[in-house]
Amino acid sequence: MSMRTAKRMPALTLAALIAAPALAASPALANDTLVEMAKDPRNWVMTGRDYSANNYSTMDQINKENVSELRSAWSFSTGVLHGHEGTPLVIGDVMYVHSPFPNTTFALDLNEPGKIIWQNKPRQDPTARSVACCDVVNRGLAYWPGDGEVDPLIFRTQLDGHIVAMDAATGETRWVMENSDIRVGSTLTIAPYVIKDNVIVGSSGAELGVRGYVTAYDVKTGEQRWRAFATGPDEDMRLSADFNAPNPHYGQWDLGLDTWEGDAWKIGGGTNWGWYAYDPDEDLFYYGSGNAAPWNETMRPGDNKWTNSIWGRDPDDGMARFAYQKTPHDEWDYAGVNVMMLSEQEDRDGNMRKLLTHPDRNGIVYTLDRSTGDLVSADKLDDTVNWTKTVQLDTGLPVRDPEFGTRMDHKSRDICPSAMGYHNQGHDSYDPERQVFLMGLNHICMDWEPFMLPYRAGQFFVGATLWMYPGPKGDRQNDLGLGQVKAYDAITGEFKWEVMERFSVWGGTMATAGGLTFYGTLDGFLKARDTDTGELLWKYRLPSGAIGHPMTYEHDGTQYVAIYYGVGGWPGVGLVFDLQDPTAGLGSVGAFKRLQEYTQMGGGIMVFSLDGRNPYSDPNVGEYQPNEG
Amino acid sequence: MAGLVAGIALGGGALAYDGTNCRAPGNCWEPKPGYPETVAGTKYDPQHDPAELSKQAESLAAMDERNAMRVKHFKETGEFIYDVSKIPGAN
Repeated sequence: MSMRTAKRMPALTLAALIAAPALAASPALANDTLVEMAKDPRNWVMTGRDYSANNYSTMDQINKENVSELRSAWSFSTGVLHGHEGTPLVIGDVMYVHSPFPNTTFALDLNEPGKIIWQNKPRQDPTARSVACCDVVNRGLAYWPGDGEVDPLIFRTQLDGHIVAMDAATGETRWVMENSDIRVGSTLTIAPYVIKDNVIVGSSGAELGVRGYVTAYDVKTGEQRWRAFATGPDEDMRLSADFNAPNPHYGQWDLGLDTWEGDAWKIGGGTNWGWYAYDPDEDLFYYGSGNAAPWNETMRPGDNKWTNSIWGRDPDDGMARFAYQKTPHDEWDYAGVNVMMLSEQEDRDGNMRKLLTHPDRNGIVYTLDRSTGDLVSADKLDDTVNWTKTVQLDTGLPVRDPEFGTRMDHKSRDICPSAMGYHNQGHDSYDPERQVFLMGLNHICMDWEPFMLPYRAGQFFVGATLWMYPGPKGDRQNDLGLGQVKAYDAITGEFKWEVMERFSVWGGTMATAGGLTFYGTLDGFLKARDTDTGELLWKYRLPSGAIGHPMTYEHDGTQYVAIYYGVGGWPGVGLVFDLQDPTAGLGSVGAFKRLQEYTQMGGGIMVFSLDGRNPYSDPNVGEYQPNEG
Repeated sequence: MAGLVAGIALGGGALAYDGTNCRAPGNCWEPKPGYPETVAGTKYDPQHDPAELSKQAESLAAMDERNAMRVKHFKETGEFIYDVSKIPGAN
């Protein structure tokens, strides 16, 4: 494993970086420093901008009135094709960039945009590619701000299952730990997440029967602090003594065994490869566990706890305060890993609540009280959701429509949403001023036919054939109309506006105080809409389709908007691997067969500003100086 | 005719399955009509091989052990070595 490809950092940038943690040196904990740094809108210190995971910026230099003047400012190629999910980080004068496999990490100098301060390119076992379910994506990096003893660090996950700590200033690898073993089908695509002095890492591979787990490592040494599984004995799942006490009807003890037949829980899925959020006051972090394995439900009787669940855990010891299972006995691959956005809003009774809002794969957008796990609302993301008639708020149970259940010896038809969900891995946004969630959605339905197969560690363990196609509001004759964007009020349950898109809005959205909602599209546009009305105000044609979420930062007084381009991910599997069988790619090839008419592979970042202003607007910036080192 | 009636009754019961008839809090699954309560011994028995089912836990334990060696050496010396076979005294 080669890790020392880092290059020296220019003195100016190094000084800026060193200064960054010093800006907030007074807080005792590195965590406090990170909270303070996130308050500065010039930075983007974690995948969701701050611990609330709202992808919301208070900057308004770019706004509704002038967004039409947004122009490309600079760009950077990662040198890697395949799907680019997630978003870069910006800390002071440095942008940290990740890539799909081979998971190269770059630090770019924002004073000379695109100039590489360091790059850290791991050497991975290429067989990792063969056990990745849905392209070779990665969702991002994490930053730890240092504490005086250890300098700031950047964390990366690798497809081959490693978690890596790198010096943020030099790119030197500090430590590398094994988290997931590709020989048993376990990979890593999730962005790591820093809370206090722990870095938290999930797991991937439910399509290969991987039993999901979340693990915390000491940021400085890589020492494992705790690990919590999604299935099995209560001790393995780290359930606290008061687990689900406010909501005992969700279930409490022994269900990780009792809701499975025999040892099926050992290969039962529930991996977590989506996003995290954290409430420092509650001292709980939130995430979702994924689908049950195999997809063939007949092979695993039971509710299959605690797959497909929203978790609230203590970051220090991993103990779970609550879990709410959204899709008991998952029959449709409704992996529950999607984004959790934290807000403080008055509920319908006028009580101020600390909320968690989660648009799930199963087509329901859930809002929970994040202190207790109480279910506050559960609304359909689209009125075409048909597997469930409603979700009972008092019991938390979905009322299933048997017509759209799946089972052996039967081909179920017209199930909405499809296995890709009406929402997938996109990191969405919440505008706290307007109290509205901006959601990029899929609009895809499916037919589903299960088949039996044995479990062999390291081999695919799905057991279902899928056919996917546009939802009822799309154009099934022409295989288009596979996506939507909606503005949602979690308190009233109303959608302020909604628009259709040609393909899924896979990457998510970013909202700003400028009244704008940005998102990328699979067919290669970055778009800006009026957050109040949904009106399309601006768009730009990217070199390749986008499946990551936009971010914004400020440098030298200029606000920039950035987004990865690089089509791929699950919806791009057919395009990137040149597949034709409509059932290939776990059913996505058929749904997205027209994607290749609109875009091709690529990989990099495009950055925008008003009039395209950037450091190179002064053409002398970055010019070769004969005597430079 | 009796069989047909039984089938309809069974089917009616299954169609009534909506996931809300719980035997205990958090335990609400019911078999669909014509499908078994447990699959062991039926045509839907996946016949899992216990050796295969144990591989994930074995792999995790081995990774944790190697990681512990790396951490121990790193904490003691300040030098990080990934290849545990090269960590002095680790084997």
